[in-house]
Amino acid sequence: MKLLNIKEFTEMENFDNAIAEILEVDTIELDQELISFECWDSLTILSIISHADETYKVTLSAAEVNESKTVGGLKKLIKSKM
Amino acid sequence: MNLTFHDKTITGILTLLPAKEVKFEDEMENYNFSIAKSLKLKMAMGYNTHRIFDENVCTSDLCAFGMNHLFEKDLLRKEEIDALILVTQSPDYFMPPTSNVIQGKLGLKNDIFCMDINQGCAGFLIGLIQAFMLLEQESINKVVLLNADILSRKVSKSDRNSNPLTGDAASVTIIEKNTSKNTIYGFLKMDGTGHDALIIPAGGFRMPSTPETAKMKEDAAGNFRSLDNLVMKGDDVFNFVQREVPPMVEQLLQKAGVSKEEVDFYMFHQPNKFMLNKLADKLGVPRDKMPSNIVENFGNASGVTIPTAISFNLGDKLIRESYLICLAGFGVGLTWASLLMRIEHLKFNEIIKY
Repeated sequence: MKLLNIKEFTEMENFDNAIAEILEVDTIELDQELISFECWDSLTILSIISHADETYKVTLSAAEVNESKTVGGLKKLIKSKM
Repeated sequence: MNLTFHDKTITGILTLLPAKEVKFEDEMENYNFSIAKSLKLKMAMGYNTHRIFDENVCTSDLCAFGMNHLFEKDLLRKEEIDALILVTQSPDYFMPPTSNVIQGKLGLKNDIFCMDINQGCAGFLIGLIQAFMLLEQESINKVVLLNADILSRKVSKSDRNSNPLTGDAASVTIIEKNTSKNTIYGFLKMDGTGHDALIIPAGGFRMPSTPETAKMKEDAAGNFRSLDNLVMKGDDVFNFVQREVPPMVEQLLQKAGVSKEEVDFYMFHQPNKFMLNKLADKLGVPRDKMPSNIVENFGNASGVTIPTAISFNLGDKLIRESYLICLAGFGVGLTWASLLMRIEHLKFNEIIKY
């Protein structure tokens, strides 16, 4: 149980770094709105879909990404499908 | 479904590309996005130039031009053509079939089987499979497969989602019986529940074109298009391709008893560089065995991208050499198909401009 938590923790820390890179910022906060990022567009959404597919084997649609609203919402969405 | 064919081969490929070239940068102002964002898209997707045919040219003109080129060079003879298959989403008319128009235009014999097939991204595969099936007939010894699309005319110039990647092209492929006792392995699947992932909503019988369907509207991502224009659900297509294509290819190779390393080239449909590189990585195939350079040079011309990739990347080599090639097409329908076959010692494999 403890091991799983550590694994989960590491995965989600990597998640923060990867999402920050896709969103072209140094750090992210969970309550930040996705559409508030300067670079936010359909290519950013596709990059997130591709990252989720490659790293977590999770399939996301553009609508789901948009509906997740915030960085925290996106994280929750991916976790719910893992 | 699994398919197998015996004693059939491709003997020549001719690709016709438009002389007119459009640069990505020249169209950036049409898009409702900052220059920086558009340049980022260009980098990520591998966009650069795409080629489009002049406004008055139609599919039958392109096909007749390509076939006349072969007649003039004595690479093909009219009397030996037993079937003419045209795969296009840009027919001259709703009726009659454009393949019949081409047969008449070129003065081909009446003892011929002409057929139009409405398929896109998997159109080269569907055309080849149809050609192999026709060649099972005793009286059919040589089939001409025509792939042609002029979809640039159906894509909105203000649609950053589709316009930068769309190109026009046509190809002529000759398929014949041979006696080398070879086996061609194939795999094919379709899923019409995804038929709206790539669609031109208006202009058919379901929704005839009217002034109302011609009105330009902005979508959620900031693209402008009308119901008369082609629309693509990019995320659905991406997910579909990453989900279905790798297992399809694995299954095809397994059925054929061939390892990934034994395949010389993976000539796949060319949606964009991003998607092809992801496919190569997922399949564990070196990227140089799976060319992804057609969209950046010419654009994605639907069913014509595979012959274009073969002509552009292998050219004369295919006249001298023999390669084991895995072909795969995937997209509109949804349709996905693949073939594993030896392509060798072609009579011709070239690109001409129109």
